[in-house]
Amino acid sequence: MDLRPAEVTSILEKEIENYQGDTRMQSVGTVLSVGDGVARVYGLDDCMMNELLEFAGGVRGIALNLEEDNVGCVLLGDAAKVREGDTVKATGRIISVPTGPQLLGRVVNALGDPVDGKGPLGTTDDDLRPIEQDAPSVVERQPVDQPLQTGIKAVDAMIPIGRGQRELIIGDRQTGKTALIVDTILSQANTGGGDPTNPEQVICIYVAVGQKQSTVVDIVRRLEQAGAMPYTIVVLASAIDEASMQYLSCYGGCAMGERFRDEGRHVAIFYDDLYKQALAYRQVMLLLRRPPGREAFPGDVFNLHSRLLERAAKLADNAPEINPRFKAGGGTLTALPVVETQEGDVSAYIPTNVISITDGQIFLESSLFNSGIRPAVNAGISVSRVGGAAQIPAMKKTAGSLRLDLAQFRELQAFAQFGSDLDAATQAKLTRGERLVEILKQGQYVPVKVTDQVVILYAGSTGALDDLAVKQLAEFERALIEYVNDSHPEVAEQILTAKKDIPDETKAVLDGAIAAVKAQIQA
Amino acid sequence: MGVVAAAVDQVTGRWADALFGLARRRGVLDQVSADIERIALECKPPAVQAFLQGATGSTAERLAKFDVLLESANPHTRSFVSLLFERRREEVLVQIGAAFEQRLLEERGAAKGVVESARPLESAELEALGRDLSKRLGKDVTLTGRVTPELVGGVRVFVGTSMIDQSLQGRMDGLRRRMMEARLPAVGS
Repeated sequence: MDLRPAEVTSILEKEIENYQGDTRMQSVGTVLSVGDGVARVYGLDDCMMNELLEFAGGVRGIALNLEEDNVGCVLLGDAAKVREGDTVKATGRIISVPTGPQLLGRVVNALGDPVDGKGPLGTTDDDLRPIEQDAPSVVERQPVDQPLQTGIKAVDAMIPIGRGQRELIIGDRQTGKTALIVDTILSQANTGGGDPTNPEQVICIYVAVGQKQSTVVDIVRRLEQAGAMPYTIVVLASAIDEASMQYLSCYGGCAMGERFRDEGRHVAIFYDDLYKQALAYRQVMLLLRRPPGREAFPGDVFNLHSRLLERAAKLADNAPEINPRFKAGGGTLTALPVVETQEGDVSAYIPTNVISITDGQIFLESSLFNSGIRPAVNAGISVSRVGGAAQIPAMKKTAGSLRLDLAQFRELQAFAQFGSDLDAATQAKLTRGERLVEILKQGQYVPVKVTDQVVILYAGSTGALDDLAVKQLAEFERALIEYVNDSHPEVAEQILTAKKDIPDETKAVLDGAIAAVKAQIQA
Repeated sequence: MGVVAAAVDQVTGRWADALFGLARRRGVLDQVSADIERIALECKPPAVQAFLQGATGSTAERLAKFDVLLESANPHTRSFVSLLFERRREEVLVQIGAAFEQRLLEERGAAKGVVESARPLESAELEALGRDLSKRLGKDVTLTGRVTPELVGGVRVFVGTSMIDQSLQGRMDGLRRRMMEARLPAVGS
């Protein structure tokens, strides 16, 4: 760490000034036992829940179990330095993390200490926020009505996410959960040009819990290359970090996001993933001897996730008048937690818990992924319970029939495998379905703007693609979007500002463009 | 070094509460506390503790070893010890002295403390410190001194589970911690 002589001087100055001062009574205790990253301490009479404790050798800990005759705490450092009989001091501070714009573009650990080797953060004590905070109350919120564009056609069209919503991303390993997150982060560059000082820019916070460090390095590098790091914070509690750090990292990341939300900004936070967080929590709690329940998780594992996700909110415009803790109204915190399932089992304990807490889920399926449908979103069981209100009207109208068309397609597809003679109507539905599935496919790291999505979905839903071969569609999509953006740049604005449906004159322009591009492709 | 109040397990605490309450109600607190002090002293050697924690044989045989000690004791103390042996809870005797003393001090509004210092303190200094602390804590604090050269200078006072650290070592530790934790402006900003 780089220390500047001027700063050392200022610390020493304060020290000299307060030399006579501090005769505070400190609460102390003795270590009764220590092991597996937890310690039991006798004494510490006035200890608070989640209070930061100081052990010998500079090791810090957090009080988690306040019992009649001892305090159970987790150690946040090298447990080998702590011995039985050591004195423990209470600090009187609840565990907090630094927050603020200085964290943007940085990789920090669960306690907010930088781990990217780019030097100190430059935050002050005023920027510290306790990691556990109450969620905004009912009167401090307002309904979700602004879209959070993920840039993924299948999601924005059928499972729209609103700012302030909680949408679960669930699926087996290797189904593209993290890829979906990375694309969503990249897509946020469209909100404010990637400039974090622009109030329209959506701030992204990626909390990596129990991930391989190599995976996180890869994600950070990818974000840097795409220019997405300036508006992103990465909170890293990787697989080698203590279990306590892993389970606390989500709350730390949330506190960092809340700072922006309370200042009227828009934030998207990604917890990747909550199943690993629950495992870390289970480990700590079993070591602290809290009674195990179903699947050996402690009884409050539901609350562990609900109190975290409840902090996602869209603040009321007059929130600062109701509660001075909010500096501005209208800010949002959108939570996109990830839960990994085993063998597609969504009825396991943690997945059902988180499904019931969130406002919908994006279900990724390995069979779809393996058959080349990527992103592997299963539109049948994926839902967004509040996002519909947040879709732009043009998209809502265009994609309205998409879900139904796809559902009919899947049913007919299964049926059509048995017989060869199909009537014309059935054949038409199959043709349409195949093409819709094809245009919802999308490459990784190439988020599509919502206006471009509307253009291609319009082409699909009006049946304009039915006479094109499926393998021509990718080329058609690229050519159509390019053509519309080059020749009719006004279309994008018209789609965004449309009150109900795409205006008739815009539709005419689009029909013309589709015909022109089709002629070009088929030639 | 460390906390003055000994860690007393819950079982001992409950037995101590029972005896203390009974003795207070019957007005024989002084007598019983003297008995308990005597028993605690007798139970200190490791051999006796080993006997208490792992004794075999019948209740009468084991209790017989305490006969001499209990001859002059208050009837309540005698019943207490007999009941402990009967219930096979004689390990309670190991910590009963400490547990009883805690309750006695609480009852009298008093507290015991330890003053650690780099050089031996004179009794006048100890008394003066005790008076100051008594005023601050609203309790009658009796201090004993302990020499801890690592402190370098100043004093560190423990009363119960509270501590006032005015030692040079404590200050240096605090300074080191603040240096390590200082959230400094980013280099070049």
